[in-house]
Amino acid sequence: MTIIRVKFRRGDEVKFISHLDLMKVFERAIRRARLPIAYSQGFNPHPGMVFGLPLGVGVTSEAEYGDFEITDDGMSPQEFADRLNLQLPKGIEVLSAKKKMSKQNIMATIAASEYVVIVGTPAECSQKALKTAIDKYLSQEEIVVKKKTKNGVKDTDIRGMIFDLNFELQPCENFNIIRFTALVSAGSKANLKPDLLIESLCGYLGFEYEIDRIHRTKLFVRSQDQLLDPMEEVV
Amino acid sequence: MSVKLSDALLKSVEKPSRYTGNEWNSVIKDPKSVDIRFAFCFPDSYEVGMSHLGMKILYHLLNERNDCYCERVFAPWTDMEEKMRQNNIPLYGLESKDPIKDFDFVGFTLQYEMSFTNIINMLDLAGIPLTSDKRSDGDSFVCAGGPCAYNPEPLADIIDFFMMGEGEEIINEVMDAYAKWKGTGRTRQEFLEDIVKIEGIYVPAFYDVSYNEDGTIKSFVPKKPDYPVKIKKRIIKDMDKVYFPEKVIVPYTDIVHDRIMLEVFRGCTRGCRFCQAGFIYRPVREKSHKRLLELANKLEESSGYEEISLTSLSTSDYTELHELTTGLLEEMEEKKVNLSLPSLRIDSFSLDLMEKAQKVRKSGLTFAPEAGTQRLRDVINKGVTEEDLLNAVSLAFNGGWNGVKLYFMLGLPTETMEDVEGIADLAYKVVNAYKNVPREKKGKGLNVTVSTSSFVPKAFTPFQWEPQDSREVLNEKQMFLKSKIRSKQVTYNYHENRLSLLEAVFARGDRKTCKVLLKAWEMGCKFDSWGEHFKFDVWMKAFEDCGVDPYFYATRKRDYEELLPWDHIDIGVSKKYLISESKKALEGKVTPNCRVNCGGCGATIFDSGICGGN
Ligand code: SF4
Repeated sequence: MTIIRVKFRRGDEVKFISHLDLMKVFERAIRRARLPIAYSQGFNPHPGMVFGLPLGVGVTSEAEYGDFEITDDGMSPQEFADRLNLQLPKGIEVLSAKKKMSKQNIMATIAASEYVVIVGTPAECSQKALKTAIDKYLSQEEIVVKKKTKNGVKDTDIRGMIFDLNFELQPCENFNIIRFTALVSAGSKANLKPDLLIESLCGYLGFEYEIDRIHRTKLFVRSQDQLLDPMEEVV
Repeated sequence: MSVKLSDALLKSVEKPSRYTGNEWNSVIKDPKSVDIRFAFCFPDSYEVGMSHLGMKILYHLLNERNDCYCERVFAPWTDMEEKMRQNNIPLYGLESKDPIKDFDFVGFTLQYEMSFTNIINMLDLAGIPLTSDKRSDGDSFVCAGGPCAYNPEPLADIIDFFMMGEGEEIINEVMDAYAKWKGTGRTRQEFLEDIVKIEGIYVPAFYDVSYNEDGTIKSFVPKKPDYPVKIKKRIIKDMDKVYFPEKVIVPYTDIVHDRIMLEVFRGCTRGCRFCQAGFIYRPVREKSHKRLLELANKLEESSGYEEISLTSLSTSDYTELHELTTGLLEEMEEKKVNLSLPSLRIDSFSLDLMEKAQKVRKSGLTFAPEAGTQRLRDVINKGVTEEDLLNAVSLAFNGGWNGVKLYFMLGLPTETMEDVEGIADLAYKVVNAYKNVPREKKGKGLNVTVSTSSFVPKAFTPFQWEPQDSREVLNEKQMFLKSKIRSKQVTYNYHENRLSLLEAVFARGDRKTCKVLLKAWEMGCKFDSWGEHFKFDVWMKAFEDCGVDPYFYATRKRDYEELLPWDHIDIGVSKKYLISESKKALEGKVTPNCRVNCGGCGATIFDSGICGGN
């Protein structure tokens, strides 16, 4: 058995499909490509595949990851990727592939994610004032937001989940476009959704705003207290 | 110019992938490269429409033509409709996102009567005039086909032309005629005059209807002598040679039937007297198992689907079922493709087959005895005896199955309370059959479900003259049956019979009922087959406002002499035959199925299928 890890992108064409539906897309593409995927035993056999962190509906990404278990140890990751790409619908594309070395489940090791969020706001703002305000926002001990969970809404402190937050201001005539880059905690233990962060920040700044788009640029796994690109991971 | 769907809008609706297209195997063309743009409209949700085989066939068939670009259109769900109206987004084709108002054809497939208000709603959302008399030269042609088109009259004011019968034959001829007409500067009327010469085309506006004082139809006359007096349905002669797509669209979101559908034959040999499909699709025409295996392989390869199902009106009757299923099981096993079997007639072969196909799952078996007593089963010509049923369930119970679903109809012609009670008796006999199975063989915990729906008389059946039971009587029968079923092992489900009343109206309605459809839509009716949207009181108000009595259509017994609203349609099966079947029904006499003995229904005129040689 070999596990192939792929990095793929998810474009505008497919950004409205759910995570569950995305897995079906891969399953059927793999079947069309006749790739030697391993199936689980039992009444309802499942293909051996595990994906990284589910992406919100409407979010695009250039850093999605999936691990695929195949039965042909001789197949090169490149061949796997090439054959899969021919069968994937527009908007989904495997960017790179490698043999996975570690035993760890990708889902369990994800620790952080970087997003670009484009926000439009009618609020007046200058580069300097915005920088000061965001610094002040980040210097708070505690940033409490209302987080939706399975059991209703819960107050959550997200300060510790924000690792890095940068912005670029692009003033338009009577409108400002702010391009935020946020590195936030991700994964099963602590996950901060970018829209929630923006809501909290704009609330703090007193901005009316509209999110134009959210795009995931990076995803990291934790390995011995280090954040690593899932394709680099060697452990 | 294609419509703009903002992220914010799409994010705010349920299941946005219903509206974004781009699915695997969907056909994308450059609109500038074609002469004809066709909007194939399914007047229900994406999930229902995408599960429909006819749509898959015709979509790919039209797109095989280089001069035509066919796109899919579904009824947007109410949340999306609201957003579209707020933002002035017209109804658009899923492939190009262009407004369908600019298409040459807007074609609807009519699968059930309760989707009719969605047609009106979709035309309105598209910005196309709702009735044919309001459309002029720049407007799309609105056409329709499908089983409900066999009584086209309730939609006569809305649809420009109907295509009768199986679309694969006729639609290309219409497209050819259109390609010739387009750009000649000839009028809309002239195009309709061109195609009315094609067999199977019905242009309602070309006919005058007059009525008797009692509301029945007095005459139905073509406005010009060269319009056909009878419109003959079109059928496929050779099912092996007919076009069938070798790929199907694989949707992103879950649909009702998310699998490969392999159509094994059309029509049905059994002749159940309530079943419209059994008559309008005559004669039976089969595909060869070789062709089916070939198609199954191609479809599996191009779709990546993990399941294949066999479809037809009665798959057990397929003459090459053995070869087909053995072949499929063999070839699909290594590909890890499941075979999903429809409710087969239960014998040792089919049980063995089900065992192989489903491996472990031993729940759900379904049977449709339709009526509770042998007398009534003879009336409806359901060729199933109690013994057949009990043998079948015993076989199944011995094989470890423990769930049985039994389907019945309430309100069938001549039904008495004894027949209704017979349903409960039958259910108990099934329970007893389970008790008689040795413990070590049977599965744990029996579960019998009895479901009843209400009989709806349909055009082109031997029961087309029969009244529907009033809602009061149907309620009474439901309650009575409920009181007779008092076992933990039997569950009783019954259908909403207010919906059945409306179905009965539009299944046999004439042109006067068209007004009611428009009125009901105006008052907010749509998605009527979805319980949460069905507004019975509004419908009743619409009938009242239009001065149309629903009971005239639903619960009135008709004479054989009465001119019926669909008498100008010719399905091949003669009215004489339907009358003789109707009489035999009332006498409780059965008619053997086509394979045992040809009953001489008239379908030999097609010179095809089972009766081709006769
Ligand atoms: S002509 Fe005879 S065999 Fe053919 S469909 Fe009619 S009854 Fe059946």
